[in-house]
Amino acid sequence: MLGGVQTHIARAALLVALAALLEVALSPLLTFGWVGPRFLIIGVVLAVTGLRDLQALLLGFFGGVLTDALSGGLFGVAAFGGVLAAAISLRIESARRKGETRLFVAQATVASVAVYDLIGLLAPLLAGQGGPSITGYLVGGMIPDVLLNTLLAYLASGFILKLITTKEERWT
Amino acid sequence: MGNRKPNAASTLAAFVVLCVTSLVLFTVYVKEGDSGPLHTVQLGAAEVLRPVRGLFGFATSPLSAASERVEGVLDASEVRALEEKALEYEEEAAEAARLRQENERLRALLDGEQASFTYSPLARVVAPVGGQLTRRVVINIGANDGIEPEQPVVVGNNTLVGRTTERVTPNTAEVLLINEQNFAAGVRIVPPLAPEDEPDEGSVPAPDLEGNSHGEGLLRTNWEGYLGVDYVDLSAEAEQGDFVITSGRAGERELLFPPGLLVGTIESVSSQDISQYKNIVATPAVKTDDLQEVRVILDR
Repeated sequence: MLGGVQTHIARAALLVALAALLEVALSPLLTFGWVGPRFLIIGVVLAVTGLRDLQALLLGFFGGVLTDALSGGLFGVAAFGGVLAAAISLRIESARRKGETRLFVAQATVASVAVYDLIGLLAPLLAGQGGPSITGYLVGGMIPDVLLNTLLAYLASGFILKLITTKEERWT
Repeated sequence: MGNRKPNAASTLAAFVVLCVTSLVLFTVYVKEGDSGPLHTVQLGAAEVLRPVRGLFGFATSPLSAASERVEGVLDASEVRALEEKALEYEEEAAEAARLRQENERLRALLDGEQASFTYSPLARVVAPVGGQLTRRVVINIGANDGIEPEQPVVVGNNTLVGRTTERVTPNTAEVLLINEQNFAAGVRIVPPLAPEDEPDEGSVPAPDLEGNSHGEGLLRTNWEGYLGVDYVDLSAEAEQGDFVITSGRAGERELLFPPGLLVGTIESVSSQDISQYKNIVATPAVKTDDLQEVRVILDR
């Protein structure tokens, strides 16, 4: 919950579904080298803000499953990334002070995108497909990727959070 | 996850269950093979998503066009024209190399029949697909046009750009590009014809028909993004400017790609005392980032 407002679960789910679609259809068009927008992660981080723990985890998981199904990549990678992004967001949110929403979103995005990129690096290795050197990927892929997506999340958070939250009605 | 303490245990349990489920899905996907249920789901989704991908591709086309224009301004137009001309020459040279190989094979087999390639209709590249570590595109022709998995994909007549993957739907096919790390092809290094032997001045730098191959190896793109030819013996005469074409055969075994498809030219050759193979870097004949239309070789 964000102060006096509450996240609408249906809107949050729609946001994650849209993010999954963008991740699959738009992200490859905007990816340069190893760097590109991670719409799913940004969507999950924003959507789970103010949700109950279980709702948030399930939303992250099913958003990831949807991405896996649509993307043609290794199945389970986005699902795992989605769950971890939701868990990271919940953990950071629990330590957040009131009124620092954008900062919280930025922090959660940094950690979530970094973890998601690491999973994306390790998964092909586990599947026997090989992968780039960790140092090269860290410098040329993960760090710029984290910076780009944090900026995107920071800029978009105000508008998107308005869309998915509703004002809490008080009993008098 | 700790802001609702009464539910902390159940939340942790849910987190663990979902993580394990994700890992199970991953394991099943890797182990199930291309006809498994998860692969089938992805195949169906690819077909459903085709219009959406096309729409996004269309929507971002001004961005791509602007990017190309900027690139065009930065590069001199003359250089671009020369590059195109060079590509044309290289294609023709590779064609000559292919014809030579075919001729040799025919003589060896004493068989007058030469199967020519059967091409698919011209296919438009719909959109790139996959994650940040993949280099794949979807094209707008599929099984209805005779496309099958593992068919060579070319630009022009014989410049290799990739191959089809298992993801072929009735109207789409996924193409694994040559600059993805999972792509591999048996290749042969062919020298260009010496200038004095060229039929006309300024004509095609054709391969030396009398000369021997400058080596054979495996075409791979490494994780640093360089296209290389691996396992070329130290005694091979490969040098800068040689053509890299598909070999078609490895000993007695016929390979996936037919012989003579142009891949690129050799950019550098080096060797180390501790290695038994040459270190060869090649420049691809086609920039896969700029792909718009391709053809699939259906039969050879």
